[in-house]
Amino acid sequence: MIKNTAPVLVSDPKRRNFLKTSGALGLAAAAGGVSEIIYAQDKKILKIRTYADMRSLDPAYSQGVVDEEIQSSIYSKLIQYKPGREWGYELDAAESIEQVDDTRIKFKLKEGVMFTGGFGEMTAEDVKYSYERILDESLESTNTPDWGSLKEVTVDSKYEGTIVFSDPYPPAWNIALPYIVGNIISKKAWEEAGGKVDTTTPCASGPYMHQEWQPKQKTVLARNPDWHGGVAAFDEIHIFPIDDENTAQIAYESGDIDCTRVSLGSVGNLKASPPANSTIEEYPSLYYVWVGMNVENETMANADLRKAVQHCIDVPSILQASYFGAAEASTGIIAPGLIGHRPKGKLPPEMNIAKAQEHLAAAGLSDGVSITLDVLNKSANVTTAQVIQATCAQAGITVEVNLHESGAFWSLGDSSSGERYKDIQLILNRYSMAPDPSYATAWFITDQKGIWNWERYSDPEFDKLEAAAKSISDVAQRDEMYRKMQDMMEDSGAYRFITHEASPVIYRNSINPAFRPDGLPLLRSFSSS
Amino acid sequence: MLFYILKRLLLSIVIVMLAVTMLFCMIHLVPGDPARILLGPRATPELIASMSARMGLDSPFPVQILRFFGNLFTGDLGMDVITNRPVADIVFNQLPYTLWLIFSAITFAILIGISLGCYSALHRNTLVDRITGILSVACITAPAFVVALYSLLIFAVTLHWFPAVGAGEKGDFWDQVAHLVLPAFAIGLSWIGYLARLVRASMLEVMGENHIRTARAYGLPERIVVYRYALKLAVLPTVTVIGVGMGFLLSAALLTEIVFARPGIGKLIFDSITTRNYPVVMGSVLISTILFVVSTTLSDLINAWLDPRIRASL
Repeated sequence: MIKNTAPVLVSDPKRRNFLKTSGALGLAAAAGGVSEIIYAQDKKILKIRTYADMRSLDPAYSQGVVDEEIQSSIYSKLIQYKPGREWGYELDAAESIEQVDDTRIKFKLKEGVMFTGGFGEMTAEDVKYSYERILDESLESTNTPDWGSLKEVTVDSKYEGTIVFSDPYPPAWNIALPYIVGNIISKKAWEEAGGKVDTTTPCASGPYMHQEWQPKQKTVLARNPDWHGGVAAFDEIHIFPIDDENTAQIAYESGDIDCTRVSLGSVGNLKASPPANSTIEEYPSLYYVWVGMNVENETMANADLRKAVQHCIDVPSILQASYFGAAEASTGIIAPGLIGHRPKGKLPPEMNIAKAQEHLAAAGLSDGVSITLDVLNKSANVTTAQVIQATCAQAGITVEVNLHESGAFWSLGDSSSGERYKDIQLILNRYSMAPDPSYATAWFITDQKGIWNWERYSDPEFDKLEAAAKSISDVAQRDEMYRKMQDMMEDSGAYRFITHEASPVIYRNSINPAFRPDGLPLLRSFSSS
Repeated sequence: MLFYILKRLLLSIVIVMLAVTMLFCMIHLVPGDPARILLGPRATPELIASMSARMGLDSPFPVQILRFFGNLFTGDLGMDVITNRPVADIVFNQLPYTLWLIFSAITFAILIGISLGCYSALHRNTLVDRITGILSVACITAPAFVVALYSLLIFAVTLHWFPAVGAGEKGDFWDQVAHLVLPAFAIGLSWIGYLARLVRASMLEVMGENHIRTARAYGLPERIVVYRYALKLAVLPTVTVIGVGMGFLLSAALLTEIVFARPGIGKLIFDSITTRNYPVVMGSVLISTILFVVSTTLSDLINAWLDPRIRASL
């Protein structure tokens, strides 16, 4: 064999060349990254984190807060959310706006609101196009429900118009005009683009313009020199999609970003020893977390068993174990500060094992019962499930926890995806909402059974109230109706409300951030200090 | 040799097709309506049906898979239903980040691992050899994500030597290199240990072979015997290991891309599976599978080319 391998002793030029070439290729690959562009370090840049990557720059296809953070920076609306601790709005492109009667909102645009790219001045015609296109069925927008009973927008003059609803729709002021579907786009630009856009946009009218999207890496916004509101605070805003909050915190501490939401678990440490030149603020969140019970499941159909479970769940223990004491107990599904928030729930947050045992006896289950709890595989949820398991055991209820990854979890109650919805007994759930109570209650009506109403709760009175409350202008009356709906949910025994969580944020003292009352950043209002 | 190459190529095509078919089946076994997950809670049943049709999910399963392979032969990986971009564009946009990461990690591991292994073999049973052995095993057992987290805390947060997240400014080479150091270190560390042990063992074996004794008998300087003749043979197993290890490198890259919030094919697959974005899942897994199969085939071919004994046995 050695003789056969003699060529090894005399180097083979081909092989030597190969090895040399490999090395050279490596260097060439490295050199290939060198580019002609050198990044300007002297620009005033805001670096901020979002939890997901951008999906669309078209308001019709915007998928929630991540897209909206970008769109609200590059487009104008008639009104914008006002930064601060209380929900409210401020004028943006509108010079004036007024609810003239139950179904009509009149507006007048400021003169000189310009679209970039030579698409001219914003007119009432653009507002009409922007709003009405969301209703266009052929566009297949998922955001159509946000406009509620919008019928049309009439153009009264170049700058004036009237938003007309077929029925009163008070949520328009909370979730339509200042939110995703309230973004005003250029009719001319969109028509030239074929009626819709995806990850690029032909023009902007806000303080910033969309400059670049590097998928999975960052979105860059650049100052719009023609913004009607003056001079935007930053030359550029770099938005980094970082899904994990701990990674985001590391990125903040290493100086890669200037502002981020942090995990509830790290709030204590950050407060005890905050990073230099940083401020930590806590905002209540609009999320709502609850334990739902499937009223149509054979075991859980027993109302006394459901009530026993309600009494077995010790909310303070969950808040301590899963949310590190950084979140408050909730009283329902509507967060504090919103119409319909209940200052106090019917059940106290603390468990009451004696009452639970009474209900178990009434249910004929004094000897104990075994039930399942379906949970999304996030650490806070798993901890919550373990606490529930422990406290239920004290009353003789054995809870078996089923963990699911997100795709599987979010289809559990979907009756079109098989029969699994029937097996749900207890489910730990968490929904988000926009700042109007109708956004929270919409999922618990009878029509939502098998879609998002996984408890399969059904009460004609609840359905009637839910439909009516959306179209009542009187705030006090609306407030009363939404409170009553939550009372009914609690009385059914199908819900045990846990928390609205919290949104802790950290930012450098070199910036003046602007947040919604739920802690979401309003990038257009950020400035440097 | 030509027959061998053809045989390997055919086998590679079969492996890719099997892997993709298996994945296709697995995806459809996972519960959850992808259209509903993609569109969110406010989608109407009509919208969900329309999205299902756009994703091709309204056809029977065999039709879907045949259509996928049909499109594949025309180079069409489909469209991403979220951003309306061709899947091929998305995948090939992310692929260089992963390749660059893997290439850097393995280069770093080869440079240090082979040097350490060689040094250990030449100083067998000395204190340095023993320390190297312990360190190598420690490196092998350290999971990439743990190394990633600690390296972030030490080198990014505490020392501020390197950036923590992202892949660097497009066009700024040195910024990209700075963003690459920690992720490459996280992936490469365990490979250093592995290669060091492998090269040490291989080197010890080669050093005892007849042709090395012959070289010494010719009076060649020890440096030339070691580096020109012994090391060249001793590193051969590393080519095979790296080829086969491409799968491990890809999975390590996935974890690292998540921890460092780096773009890349691993993170693309993860995000696409979470959102049930099937066209992107299929496209990105197909490319990863091809990458794996090509690298193992290449390593076999390189081995055959470099080692006449292997070539002779074909």
